[in-house]
Amino acid sequence: MIKTSFWKLGAAGLVYVSLAAAAFAAGKPLDGITLTVASQNDQFAPVIAKLAPKFEEATGAKVKVDILDYGSLLTKTQADFVGDTKSYDLVTMDIVWAGQYADNKYTVDLTDWIKRDAAEIQLDDIYPAMIQYIGQYDGKQVAFPFAGYAAVLAYRKDLLDAAGLKAPETAEEFVETAIKLTNPDKKTYGFVANGQKGPAVAQDWLQYNAQLGGSVLGPDGKPAINSDANVNSLKIYKQLFDKAAPPGAVDYDWGGREESFRQGLVAMMETWSVGAPGYYDPSMSKIVDGVAITTTPVAKGLPVKYGLGGWGMGINADIDPAQQEAAWQFIKWLTSPEIQKEMNLEGAGSYIRKSTVADPDLNKKFPYLPVLAKSFENADGDYRPRIPQYPEIQDLLGTAVNAVLVGDVDPKAALDEVQTKAEKLF
Amino acid sequence: MTITSAGSIASPRRQSSSLRFSDRRKLFLLCLALPAIVYVVLVAVWPLAQGIWYSFFDYNLLRGGGRRTFAGFDNYVALWTDATARRAVVNTFIFTFAAVALEFLVGLGLALLLWRDGRFNRICLAFLLIPVTITPIVVGLIFRALLAVDYGFLGYFLAEWGISGPRGFLANTSTALPVIILIDVWEWTPLVALILLAGLKSLPTDILEAAAADGATAWQRFRMVVLPLLLPTVFLALVLRVMDAFRVFDIIFVTTGGGPADATTSLMLYGVKQGLEFFNIGFASAIGNLAILCIALMCAVFTLLIRRADVRANER
Repeated sequence: MIKTSFWKLGAAGLVYVSLAAAAFAAGKPLDGITLTVASQNDQFAPVIAKLAPKFEEATGAKVKVDILDYGSLLTKTQADFVGDTKSYDLVTMDIVWAGQYADNKYTVDLTDWIKRDAAEIQLDDIYPAMIQYIGQYDGKQVAFPFAGYAAVLAYRKDLLDAAGLKAPETAEEFVETAIKLTNPDKKTYGFVANGQKGPAVAQDWLQYNAQLGGSVLGPDGKPAINSDANVNSLKIYKQLFDKAAPPGAVDYDWGGREESFRQGLVAMMETWSVGAPGYYDPSMSKIVDGVAITTTPVAKGLPVKYGLGGWGMGINADIDPAQQEAAWQFIKWLTSPEIQKEMNLEGAGSYIRKSTVADPDLNKKFPYLPVLAKSFENADGDYRPRIPQYPEIQDLLGTAVNAVLVGDVDPKAALDEVQTKAEKLF
Repeated sequence: MTITSAGSIASPRRQSSSLRFSDRRKLFLLCLALPAIVYVVLVAVWPLAQGIWYSFFDYNLLRGGGRRTFAGFDNYVALWTDATARRAVVNTFIFTFAAVALEFLVGLGLALLLWRDGRFNRICLAFLLIPVTITPIVVGLIFRALLAVDYGFLGYFLAEWGISGPRGFLANTSTALPVIILIDVWEWTPLVALILLAGLKSLPTDILEAAAADGATAWQRFRMVVLPLLLPTVFLALVLRVMDAFRVFDIIFVTTGGGPADATTSLMLYGVKQGLEFFNIGFASAIGNLAILCIALMCAVFTLLIRRADVRANER
């Protein structure tokens, strides 16, 4: 009697196991999983949302992309991390947030996972600067790069040719050329940059500051904001605004700056490479035929380094391990050579791989990609220090530099004040 | 033992049944009010108490692992020693007084003009209310676009004719705040006018007719009869606007972001930056508490002034 039951039970078990195996074979590995991404509203965001169904097709996991502006992204994700509410599985992380993420352990440290899957990721194909700067901090990899931007110089070749000038190769030439090309009577200006109080002016000034030999932190890692080099670069930045920028530029943020360039008001502008596809788009640009892109000019005698910015994807440390593993699958998919190429063909303007930057189809569509290759090979992602105190330092600089530009404050006095306040943050 | 325990249970029953009618009524009313009390405690009293508590701590969610360190009155002292905070307090007071004073004066004028009932006045009133219906963020964006010197419809010509200077009104430290005050006046004056108009329409006509029959001039009627009778409405309009203006955030956020330099930084703008950008919860709470205190004090002063004026009017 007992024997018969035993055999019956065994047979039933066998049937159950084979049925389960059949079901598993028919399904997909991440069936039933939904991943929610908090994404910065950059050009890559709608492209990721558009390509996400392909990930579902391949793995079974649904991907919901929540597209947010910079301020909302920061506030919502910080609130999610601090409150352990697990609203987001994946978060796009600005290069400058790495210090905060690492200090507070907001996201999963991907170091071991990257080692484990190095071959699958084709790590050698990714620019080392991307891994180093976008997400690596204090020995941890708090995010994986998926959208690298290079600081580039966009200029109007037609205007420079007409004036018998060539694209500036040094920062000194840049200032000279910008002033020469300015003619307020004809409403043409040699230069434009962000002047608006806040992150806009702070980030743009930091870019020029690095090219002119300035640095926010000293060799000891402490603030050295009122150094001679910084004061000098701020004087030059003010000179550019006074003598070569459209009058409204003191109130421009990224949108106003890009628009003034696309509308043909300005001859030269340093910008992130991500905006470049827009200059070649006749539906929004009046300068399609005259625009060219080159590397940013660095002051004579300084090591040639080009500003690097961009976004990494971090996995929320609060979500459960199965969800984390699925999120990692998504990151690997998103950063794979095929998807990177597809993203950029769609106009994401986001590059991390050597193979993508060298891709013939992409080069045909975007002729400036060799400039990106050169910039990424010599990238500096630390000119905006990626330390936990960065947002506050950026805010202090954002007010001080704007105060100098609108003519109220002496550059030295402004930076002295920032230095005093910044020291208190350390 | 059993008897004792049974007795001890029975005793409160006897007490409860012996509750007097008035006590039972009180208990019943308390039960009715309980949901409202719980609601107020949860959404107002508790967060307010937490805000006061946090303001005595050095509490940053991004640094030091979110630890709270008791800091006494440091955050309140910083409101005075921090130049930006001081500027924000001054800006907020200037904005509140200038905007509300202008809105009241212009609003009163409009209300007097629209007092007489007629088709033309009703149409005017309908048009006047359009600004009030627009979200302040949108108002800010509209004026920012209008005043932009390179492409703004107003800003371009103002700069071209040399009225605003080449960089425009919003990029100039001495004109940015007055312009923002005028934007606020544009948006909210109609609301003040509407409230005052409602007050004017509810005035007893017999008193006004009696004053006219006694030979009082229009100015005398306005000063001695209309204004004293209108005081409660004036109080309502002023309190509403002062409370709202002191919390100004949205218009400034989209037009200047608090700049140029710190020229238009308001208390709320600074509080939001400290709280929601830097997650400096202690300092942000202190800023919030200062704002609440200022609003409460101003409302108290208004109440006192208006009551005194009211008493004086009745004595006459």
